[in-house]
Amino acid sequence: MTAAVEFSNVSRHFGNVKAVDGVDLTIAEGSFFAMLGPSGSGKTTCLRLISGFEKPTGGAIRIFGEDVSNTPPHLRNVNTVFQDYALFPHMNVRDNVAYGLMVKGMGRSQRRAKADEMLALVKLGAYGDRKPAQLSGGQRQRVALARALVNEPRVLLLDEPLGALDLKLREAMQDELKALQKRLGLTFVFVTHDQHEALSMADSLAVFNEGRIAQIGSPQDIYDRPATRFVADFVGSSNVLPPDLTRALGGPAEWASLRPEATRLAASGPVSGRVTALRYLGSGTRVVIEAQGTEIAALVPAGQPVPAEGTTTAIAFDQGALHLMGAA
Amino acid sequence: MSAPAILPARGFADRMTATFWRHPRVLLAILLTPPLLWLGVVYLGSLVALLWQSFYSIDEFSGVVKQEFTLKTYAELLRPSNFDILVRTVIMAAVVTLACAALAFPIAYYAARYAKGHWKAAFYLGVMLPLWSSYLVKVYAWKLILAKEGIIGWAAERTHSSWIIDGLLSIPGLEGSSLSTSPLGTFAVFVYIWLPYMILPMQAALERVPNSMLEASADLGATRGQTFRTVILPLALPGVIAGSIFTFSLTLGDYIIPQIIGNSANFIGMAVYQLQGTAGNIPLAAAFAVVPIAVMLVYLAIARRMGAFDAL
Repeated sequence: MTAAVEFSNVSRHFGNVKAVDGVDLTIAEGSFFAMLGPSGSGKTTCLRLISGFEKPTGGAIRIFGEDVSNTPPHLRNVNTVFQDYALFPHMNVRDNVAYGLMVKGMGRSQRRAKADEMLALVKLGAYGDRKPAQLSGGQRQRVALARALVNEPRVLLLDEPLGALDLKLREAMQDELKALQKRLGLTFVFVTHDQHEALSMADSLAVFNEGRIAQIGSPQDIYDRPATRFVADFVGSSNVLPPDLTRALGGPAEWASLRPEATRLAASGPVSGRVTALRYLGSGTRVVIEAQGTEIAALVPAGQPVPAEGTTTAIAFDQGALHLMGAA
Repeated sequence: MSAPAILPARGFADRMTATFWRHPRVLLAILLTPPLLWLGVVYLGSLVALLWQSFYSIDEFSGVVKQEFTLKTYAELLRPSNFDILVRTVIMAAVVTLACAALAFPIAYYAARYAKGHWKAAFYLGVMLPLWSSYLVKVYAWKLILAKEGIIGWAAERTHSSWIIDGLLSIPGLEGSSLSTSPLGTFAVFVYIWLPYMILPMQAALERVPNSMLEASADLGATRGQTFRTVILPLALPGVIAGSIFTFSLTLGDYIIPQIIGNSANFIGMAVYQLQGTAGNIPLAAAFAVVPIAVMLVYLAIARRMGAFDAL
């Protein structure tokens, strides 16, 4: 199967700034792919390289096997849902959705019918005559989605599409996007700085740091086996252990990560520390212990005894939960 | 000892601010009264007086203004010699506006989309600088530039392209012994003088079109031309209309440029100037002055109907 999107050693430098630096990436057809990273890590530039709003300064980009290095955005069969939605304020919702069909020369009645069909798909069937300004943030987001999907793109690009929505709406939209992607069988490439969003929605994801991919894999891979300290720090609430502490806990003298769910409190053990913070989460309590200058979080399930702040406790962990990783 | 919940007023300014907080309308009234007096009494008042005058007429034998309500003066506007002036002025204003819009757009687009830092400062300086020097000096400078011995004529002669100017000057309606005595010269100077008034509002309007909107258009498959017609132009239209109000109405009312440059054919402004001065025919001068107002109202109504203000 050809890859939907393929980057071979792609770079995008702005003068001295290496926004994207030597990225290799393969996005499988029909997958929900997330690009995760802090702001300035190059994830959005990568998305813009796919849509054609940025030109690579090195390397090659292929979409379904075709080299697009010399193809302008309007000739690429990919569509984008923009972060600010970028709906045209002077057109009503139906004309916004029909825009792509209009510029391709489809007749008025036909394109309006298609737009209405697509609006119904995103549950906005009754809103065709409204102006974008009369819609809520969530509704605008759906219009932007319909406007992109009506063109039947081979790849749909989403640039932090849920960033502007409040928490409840965001969670609802996450489920809906996922369901829509499954139903259409389309390749979705999704940029986000929200690790929960990336982990819960993507089939596979790339974690970006300083213009490079720090790790690429399935959500489980990334969460359970972070390749570097950066990934462990950024993706999870995972504990990052320096070499000394790893050795004290019985491992080799290397950096390691330890998930809070796998961290236990014990009466005695090789490493102990003072409880510095407690956070009640409903399903359990997050206990932060300071041991040898490092903060370690442990998740105590509901129903089990929780130590008081300021008390001393030893740390233990489940067999095999300690994951060693590179220092980078 | 803890600090009081209410701080003591430090003086007059604190007490005034408190008063304005309790009675927000007071501040508004203080702010608005002087400009409203000016607008209402001096500005609108003189406009009404003007309108009023235009409904009087002049006694053709004695030259005395008859203070009776009549439409006779307006009927006089339709006399061929007067009507010619109206048509000539409106055509000139329309052509000048179109030329200003065509010239201003690339400049405004560049300034709004690409110019940053020093280049933006250079843009503003470049556009505003001509406004700092005297209008009359500029017009006379143009008279020299456009004269037969002027730099344009000289350059044309040196490059053996005088035939282009001669050709233009032989077109019926544009005749003249040189550019400075042809309606073409009047047109060129009008465009030069009013261009900044078109560039600035256009640039402000284009600056408000977010870049992502243009990207969205390209992303959806539109060519540059389609993006221009369906996204940029409709969104920038309020700015274009604002600019055209300036260029159109300033051309409609100007009486100096056509007096100095061109073939001395009459324009509305010149007619008003002569009628209220030497001829002493205030009612007809007033009627002439009403024409630009009426034309602008019609123009705005059309613009509104075409949806020019939908994006506001």
